[in-house]
Amino acid sequence: MVEQLLQSLSRFLPETTLTVALCSTVVVSLFLGRKSQATLFVALAGLVLATWFSFDQMGVSETIFSGMVAVDPFSVFFKLLVGLSAILILLFSLYSSEVQSTLHRAGEYSALILAMALGMFLMAGASNLLMMVLAIELTSLSSYILAGYTREASDSSEASLKYIIYGAVSTGVMLYGISILYGLTGATDFYGINRALTEESVNSVALLVSIIMILVGFGYKISAVPFHFWTPDVYEGAPITITAFLSVASKAAGFALMMRFFKVSFIDANAVGLPTGVWTSLQGFEWNKIVAILSVLTMTLGNLVAVWQNNLKRLLAYSSIAHAGYMLMGVVVLSDKGLAAVLIYFMVYLFMNLGAFYVVMLVANKTGSEDIDSYKGLGHRSPLVSVAMVIFFISLAGLPPTAGFIGKLFLFAALLDATWIWLAVVGALNSVVSLYYYVRVVRNMFLRDPEGNAEPILFSTPQLAIVMLLLLPTLFFGLFYSPMVELANASVMMFGIR
Amino acid sequence: MILESIVFYSLAVASVGSALLMVTRRNPVIAALYLILNFFCLAGLYLTLQAQFIAVIHILVYAGAIMVLFLFVIMLLNLGDERKLSDAISPRKIIAGGLSLALLLELLSIFVTGTEGLPEYNADQALQVGTVEYIGKQLFTKFLFPFEVTSILLLAAIIGAILLAKKKPD
Repeated sequence: MVEQLLQSLSRFLPETTLTVALCSTVVVSLFLGRKSQATLFVALAGLVLATWFSFDQMGVSETIFSGMVAVDPFSVFFKLLVGLSAILILLFSLYSSEVQSTLHRAGEYSALILAMALGMFLMAGASNLLMMVLAIELTSLSSYILAGYTREASDSSEASLKYIIYGAVSTGVMLYGISILYGLTGATDFYGINRALTEESVNSVALLVSIIMILVGFGYKISAVPFHFWTPDVYEGAPITITAFLSVASKAAGFALMMRFFKVSFIDANAVGLPTGVWTSLQGFEWNKIVAILSVLTMTLGNLVAVWQNNLKRLLAYSSIAHAGYMLMGVVVLSDKGLAAVLIYFMVYLFMNLGAFYVVMLVANKTGSEDIDSYKGLGHRSPLVSVAMVIFFISLAGLPPTAGFIGKLFLFAALLDATWIWLAVVGALNSVVSLYYYVRVVRNMFLRDPEGNAEPILFSTPQLAIVMLLLLPTLFFGLFYSPMVELANASVMMFGIR
Repeated sequence: MILESIVFYSLAVASVGSALLMVTRRNPVIAALYLILNFFCLAGLYLTLQAQFIAVIHILVYAGAIMVLFLFVIMLLNLGDERKLSDAISPRKIIAGGLSLALLLELLSIFVTGTEGLPEYNADQALQVGTVEYIGKQLFTKFLFPFEVTSILLLAAIIGAILLAKKKPD
């Protein structure tokens, strides 16, 4: 038992690092006093180390702590993604006026970001229902508080409260579903559930009810329609750094958990005559049809409502709902190609979405507004940042030669491969709608004259360097995408599944 | 066997009844007291399932600690009777009611159509599961890791509570 624990601990280095960093921020903020950025740098160091240790785990495939957590290429990929976005968020925080004006609370801010990252690391690897709930709760609890971090703003408190209420209800429903699933199979680990379902056929209505209830929890985490109601308000009310973190990392962790849960629990290991990389669901249990419906609802509603938004944070909130819909298409097809497409999309999404949020943050720092009208004439006032924004938006809309195009291309290719043609058509139509609202912002920036003061807005060199850090991959991966595709293809491997 | 059935059914009826009374009361204090009654009935049901430990913990933690906290908050806030803001039946309520009814029917159909294929446990196993010794052993071997993760979850919650509670205007 003890040897096994020690063995597990050695495979648990990234998470241990995060825990140590979490405790360190609390101690550092106690001794180095208020009003200092020290805790932000402690958190940054912890995250860089944790990401580095995750990188070291590439190629490992095992489960640790009596099968509670899997360390496999799939989880390592998502740990890298979460670690990278958390590092970028902390860099943003160094230049965010919202965070810098509340430096006396920076200790709590850094500690909660670390707790959130730890929760997401666990979500990436959880292979047991119990761990799944604990990891989701750790992530959610920290994000509830961070969403209301700027407590002075009343919309921030409102956002936090809405988030908590929706979160509590969806977790409750998910737990009910989990209890039914446990009652049916008598197992809490994903592999045990798979074994139980393979050996004995269970009541199909009960299984369906439990899966739909569990989907409520996942849907909430990835903000899929109809569990998205919290998203616009929370994204608008939370500090921009936290909004950006929620829109990328939280969603990625939710997708990781969802894909692992569905694939591992319901894969039919005895199916014969399938081409490589394609699998099928047990007992003809077609959970992917439910996900297909969610996907269509999510992208259509996200895109259509985004058209009417005048606040850029809200616009990006609805756009992120729509992107969740696109990514769900990759889960529907039941093939490794589909999963790889989702992973590729997340790599691209990390850079383009964080980039768009970062530009919004920079502009809001200077103009104090996130309204689309305040972007009028921005192209003349700050050409470099505006051009960067245009490229991020082109990428979000999925046009070549940006990385966003590659992301969509692989998703649609996976769909067409699996002959889900109608879904691909819906996805393509949605991309057209999304183009409209992205271009609306671009038009304001370049084709409209500025209202009132039209002085140039200047940014410091490090601020522009971060823009470049996000902009270059968005362009680079649009042209040289093969390293990205290779990484994704290597990362779809989950422990114990051929 | 008959005695067991009598105990089960009386506890079941009492727990459902107290839950219904809880959600229909207008006075929050009375509703909270019915919730405590409900917890006691559930604890009794756990006892019939040989889960003594869970039953005791359920009463200690929920009926004891959490409900006392609840009552304190209700009394500190000095809540009066709950008044309804509107009684109108909106389409939203009808949809919500319809969906809840559908869920109820689905769950009932599961019980009616039988419990074939469910995993079976023998009586010895069930007896063992209820003891403190068994739970302790499991908690510190197989479930050690989730147990430790809970501590980090609580740490995050404490930090958050302090952050929210600090009322100093800046």
